[in-house]
Amino acid sequence: MPDDLNWAIGGEAGDGIDSTGKIFAQALSRAGRHVFTSKDFASRIRGGYTAYKVRTSVDRVESVVDRLDVLIALTERTIDENMDELHEGSVIIYDGERTTMQDVEIPDEMIGLEVPLQRLAEEAGGAIMANVVALGAACEVTNFPIANLDESLKKRFGDKGEAIVENNKEAARKGQQFVQEEYEQDDFGYDMETTDNDYVLLNGDQAIGMGALAAGCRFYSGYPITPATDVMEYLTGRIDQYGGKVVQAEDELSAINMALGAARAGARAMTATSGPGIDLMTETFGLVAQSETPLVICDVMRSGPSTGMPTKQEQGDLNMTLYGGHGEIPRFVVAPTTVSECFWKTVEAFNYAEKYQTPVFLVSDLAMAVTEQTFPPEEFDMDEVEIERGKVVDEGDLDSWTNEKGQFQPHFPAADGISPRAFPGTDNGAHMTTGLEHDALGRRTEDTEIRQEQVEKRQQKVETAREEEDWDYREYGNPDADTLVVSWGSNEGAMREGMEFLEEEGIDVRFISVPYIFPRPDLSEEIEQAEQTIVVECNATGQFADVIEHDVLERVDRVNKYNGVRFKADELAEAIEEAISEAEVTA
Amino acid sequence: MSSDVRFTDFKSDKQPTWCPGCGDFGTMNGMMKALAETGNSPDDTFVVAGIGCSGKIGTYMHSYALHGVHGRALPVGIGVKMANPNLEVMVAGGDGDGYSIGAGHFIHAVRRNVDMTYVVMDNRIYGLTKGQASPTSREDFETSTTPEGPQQPPVNPKALALAAGGTFIAQSFSSNSQRHAELVQEAIEHDGFGFVNVYSPCVTFNDVDTYDYFRDTIVDLDEEDHDPTDREQAKDKILEGDKEYQGVLYRDDNSVPFEQREGIEESMADIPDGAPEDAMDLVREFY
Repeated sequence: MPDDLNWAIGGEAGDGIDSTGKIFAQALSRAGRHVFTSKDFASRIRGGYTAYKVRTSVDRVESVVDRLDVLIALTERTIDENMDELHEGSVIIYDGERTTMQDVEIPDEMIGLEVPLQRLAEEAGGAIMANVVALGAACEVTNFPIANLDESLKKRFGDKGEAIVENNKEAARKGQQFVQEEYEQDDFGYDMETTDNDYVLLNGDQAIGMGALAAGCRFYSGYPITPATDVMEYLTGRIDQYGGKVVQAEDELSAINMALGAARAGARAMTATSGPGIDLMTETFGLVAQSETPLVICDVMRSGPSTGMPTKQEQGDLNMTLYGGHGEIPRFVVAPTTVSECFWKTVEAFNYAEKYQTPVFLVSDLAMAVTEQTFPPEEFDMDEVEIERGKVVDEGDLDSWTNEKGQFQPHFPAADGISPRAFPGTDNGAHMTTGLEHDALGRRTEDTEIRQEQVEKRQQKVETAREEEDWDYREYGNPDADTLVVSWGSNEGAMREGMEFLEEEGIDVRFISVPYIFPRPDLSEEIEQAEQTIVVECNATGQFADVIEHDVLERVDRVNKYNGVRFKADELAEAIEEAISEAEVTA
Repeated sequence: MSSDVRFTDFKSDKQPTWCPGCGDFGTMNGMMKALAETGNSPDDTFVVAGIGCSGKIGTYMHSYALHGVHGRALPVGIGVKMANPNLEVMVAGGDGDGYSIGAGHFIHAVRRNVDMTYVVMDNRIYGLTKGQASPTSREDFETSTTPEGPQQPPVNPKALALAAGGTFIAQSFSSNSQRHAELVQEAIEHDGFGFVNVYSPCVTFNDVDTYDYFRDTIVDLDEEDHDPTDREQAKDKILEGDKEYQGVLYRDDNSVPFEQREGIEESMADIPDGAPEDAMDLVREFY
């Protein structure tokens, strides 16, 4: 267990919960502490319970846990919602002077800190700063040097002028002083050590956007949808600096077709959406594959089916990305397992798309999309970014891909399945592209032999990629352990920490986290070697477990969570323990 | 741009499979003439089409082309043009493709005003699926799926375009080949979204909206003393339900194309070999 602190601010949507939480998280990050944030939010703009949670430690933190040490409660409901996570000695900061908070009852074993947030904020220059007063109080409670807040406040309010920044600093100090003066107990048991480390703090959607820019993405078209919109918002404006553009399309059908058009014109192009948008785009998956257009299609999954729970976690679209679309579509499915991997896998996705001229599904999930995490900036070392554009021909080498009539053959059935691309504007490269079955020239055909040849050509690309690329996994724990745990997507962090809980129980596991869904690593040996294999995923049916069983023709055990909330480390450890003991009973 | 390009350079060596006498022959020839006339070459032209008889056009023309899915040609064309504004982008569609399944894209393409040309081969019927009602079919037009007629008024695509802020709205008749080619040429030369609805008769399934019908009824706007830059006049002409016009119905001479407003000048195909030099700034933003 790292010596960590779990902190949260909760209230109604519209209360500034997010920005207040972010200010604190940034202050911690700038003070050289690691941060892992999570959000509880509802699908509405104002009202309804919402919370921003921060877990922080000097050591790296990879997940959320079922524990809350300090809570700023702007509403009574905030306390009720978090009662399960509060424990003996937890500190709850609230404004007892607010009419709605006067009847708040704090359980005896917890510490209720009544701070007149609004009154102190007014003294500092305006009631609007009540949340900042609470942050000041939280600094005092946690022994976190308040000076660290100043830079974050400047970052947040700098645009509004120096006076506003100063007022906010003052508001924070009023909160701090109030706790100092009014509460004799000056030590709440927390010591927030700071370090000289410089960290960056970002979420999975931002990492995907950043990866896209680094990879040379120049065109993005999308339609706003939770939780993928952050990708679009990140790219908007920033992509222009590199000569690119974000277009908000009228719907997802338009979004993917625009991106397809841009890709045909030679731009690295991407669209991102979530489940319902993926459904709408499905028609075009086949066109992308059949026309051999490189395209990155990002699916940031949320709870389904239908509209499901738009602001909750699920990994339920795996089958959709693996199998969605009529006919047989060669494609790659890449699923980052950490926030920083969101960056690197995005770069890879663009390279695969162009090298193999296929749709590449970049699959992320809500838990990763909204989680902000600290990293040393070197983790995103841009010098490491490599760009491979695959077989692109120009006027000079176009001749080697023409037929006896001098016509360019964009779908030439090369042995590796990969034919040349000529960007529009290339002299003598003019050619037809179609979703219909076509010959090497790209012209429609129903010739049975050519049909078969082109199907095999497209499939061959997958085989070539299987051989040429490293479809590897990441591994933790004891490689000789009897229990093998496999997961994909954002579960990696929770499982890694969960292993520490399991260790305390004397349970030894080997953990494999798989970022490649198709093609994917062959786990036959690993599964054969283990006595029991457990596949962990946030869905009810075990979609990844199904493909693994299919691969190795062996039953695996499953740990599934589908209530809309990501795995928490301690809870996951418990579920694994249970799966192990159930297997023992059956055996 | 080479001046020695002839319209036959835009012809592929593939023989069209359109029915003999189909209006689409004339429509396509006019497009090729207009492209050559405006100094484009096949290698800097991109033709996009959707599904249906109109969708086949990319196969019969010689240029960079994409034959996509039903109703989605316009977004593809927008993507192409934005990624490389140096290309001449022409989108071809049919009345089903463009005004039914693609109606949403049509309205938004019009209001987006990307500098491209949209030619709709309007034959007021679904031809390739063998004769069902289309969005422009007459209210009482009997077909296999509407034995009593569609029982709903046809869409007025010119009115939709005007309402959506269209900056160039024209109509032609594929059989009046010279006039049709001129109108497509004007659409190409227009700075913005050039929309041409072309009466392109289906000789197999539509025995109402025939060559004879259009020949007898069509009125050239040039003979009507129509000022296409006058939006009010254009509105009146477009909303006159019982007249078939050819010519430019509306033209906004102050139109500025979307991609120009967005400052896109260069092809997006050129990207550096690795991440851009200043890319670490992207990371530092998150301090």
